[in-house]
Amino acid sequence: MKRQFLWKSCLIIATGLVAFFYILSVLTLKTEEGMSFIAKSDRQQLKAWAKTAEALYLSGDKLALNQWITELKQKESTRVSIASFNIENIAGENINVDTVEAYHFGRNVDWKIHLYFEQNPIMELPFSKAKGSFLIKLPDRMRPGEYWLTTKIVLQIILPMTILIILSTWLYRHIITPLHQLEKATSAFSKGNFDVRVKKLLGNRNDELAHLAATFDQMASQIGELIASQRQLISDLSHELRTPLTRLDIAVNNFEMDNSHQHLERISRESVYIRKLVEDTLTLAWLDNEKPIIQREHVDLVDLLDVVIDDAKFEFSNRELILETPNNAIISNSSHQALCPALENIIRNALRHTPVGKKVTVKLIKQNNNYCIEVIDQGPGIATQYLDKIFRPFFRVENSREAGNESFGLGLALAKRLLNSVRANISAENHHAGGLMVLITIPIT
Amino acid sequence: MLKIKVLLIEDDTTLNNYLTDLLTKSGYIVEQCFDGISGLKLAQTHQHQLILLDKMLPKLDGVSLLKSLRETSQQPVIMISAKGAEEERILGLTHGADDYVAKPFNSQELLLRIEGLLRRSQPQTQAKRQVEIAIDGLTLNAAKQQILVNNKEVEFTTIQFKLLWELISQQNKIISKADLYQIVLNKKLGAYDRSLDMHLSRVRRKLNEANWLGERLQTVHGKGYCFK
Repeated sequence: MKRQFLWKSCLIIATGLVAFFYILSVLTLKTEEGMSFIAKSDRQQLKAWAKTAEALYLSGDKLALNQWITELKQKESTRVSIASFNIENIAGENINVDTVEAYHFGRNVDWKIHLYFEQNPIMELPFSKAKGSFLIKLPDRMRPGEYWLTTKIVLQIILPMTILIILSTWLYRHIITPLHQLEKATSAFSKGNFDVRVKKLLGNRNDELAHLAATFDQMASQIGELIASQRQLISDLSHELRTPLTRLDIAVNNFEMDNSHQHLERISRESVYIRKLVEDTLTLAWLDNEKPIIQREHVDLVDLLDVVIDDAKFEFSNRELILETPNNAIISNSSHQALCPALENIIRNALRHTPVGKKVTVKLIKQNNNYCIEVIDQGPGIATQYLDKIFRPFFRVENSREAGNESFGLGLALAKRLLNSVRANISAENHHAGGLMVLITIPIT
Repeated sequence: MLKIKVLLIEDDTTLNNYLTDLLTKSGYIVEQCFDGISGLKLAQTHQHQLILLDKMLPKLDGVSLLKSLRETSQQPVIMISAKGAEEERILGLTHGADDYVAKPFNSQELLLRIEGLLRRSQPQTQAKRQVEIAIDGLTLNAAKQQILVNNKEVEFTTIQFKLLWELISQQNKIISKADLYQIVLNKKLGAYDRSLDMHLSRVRRKLNEANWLGERLQTVHGKGYCFK
């Protein structure tokens, strides 16, 4: 899924926070309500007082009643009275007494107390037998919600703050941990540790940051490979240069005036060899680094093969070289300057490995949207395990040493990269009749 | 014979001296120069028959130098390139120079290039233009751009006609590839450029198909082509 992180943050921040605050508000309301009721023992106390008052009232001893009220007032430092309705009909119908019941002097003890009122309410406890009610301003000690302020602060400030701090920390970690790992990896990479990878450290995450890590890994692996191949190339090249340089040195040191021509020839041969080696290596490095796609012209492969075969026949006049082509094979968006040295290398290579008197066959065949060029030699072939390695730079099969000094294992590597630059492919296999068959597939358009 | 003046712009002192030595021994008068700015000044103020120009130079690089020089002068220039030579070879870039040599190069190869370029830049003594050549059943008509083999017309492209005409009209003479590039394709011979050879192969094929001996157009390896 795309934008994983967006969905995740929507879920957590938008939905999660709305739900959280809704629950918090419900919880606050419920707690406030729960804390608004007069404690049970206080209610019983109030009811007991009402009972005493009723009993005193029913006994008719007004003095005793007043005295009790005064004592109670002093004890609880509140206001106490006993009152009853006396309906005075001013005009119209007499009203029903029951209707009057709905009117009260004060609050029922079972009702909740509004905690936001500063004054304590008047509590009304109606007498059970007599007409009248015991009225008392709720004593301070009975006022509910003593811890309401603290609870309110906890519920509305401390709790959401704590939750939000936890959420922020979690989000921070969620984002920063992979970034931190990426930073560590980048710095390790810049210090030369090309094996460092990040994706596997992030577990099974699959969001934008995981993608970033994957991209980093891909980059690291590509650059690592590139640097490794460059190092390999430089080390191979310097290794390959040792032999001709030694030969050159010896030729220079043993230079004798009376045989100068032969010595000069030797020196010049080594110099040509070194030149070719450097030239080919640099071309290979360019093709490897830039991976160019060259599309500039139409090429008639038949003409191109004619040219290459003509040169090769001259160079290897003691081998037979057979060319089988149609009369035309025109491809577009290609480059003969890339194709020609590649084909030259492959055909020369085939001839070099073919014993004198034997033959090399080059066939050009049209196959669907491609032209296939088969180069089949009558040489010793190549052991199967080396077949895909022969296109690596400086790779040599042991017996190729016999092929002479001119080969330094770059020809086929160069050919493969040149062919790739015109979108062509190359592979090699052993021919059933013996010898090596190199197969080149070139797209027609 | 008047000595030929060559301007050599190359910043590597050793190579510059070697090349001066080589060219002087071959009979050229060499003016040495070691950086781009003074090289450009010399090239603009003095007439040389040939300029050897290194591509990487201090102060002013070879490509910019050539660009400035070309605004006023058409002196023949051979560019010597080291950096990016691989790319230039495969892509066939010459940076507008008349010829192009990539480092490392062989001294013989350089001398041959110089000779070839000097020959091409001489005012051509125009050979008397024939209109028709006929040899052993092969007839070329320049006016009609027509080729007949045993009185049957064979179709050739303009380039193929020009190429065949050049070779047939100078029987038994080896014509260098660089010359043929100039005359037939009107361009300079690049290091990996084989387009001329491909045209020649096609001409041979067409002649063979018409039952004429295409092999009479011979490849003289390392030199050029020759009609025998």
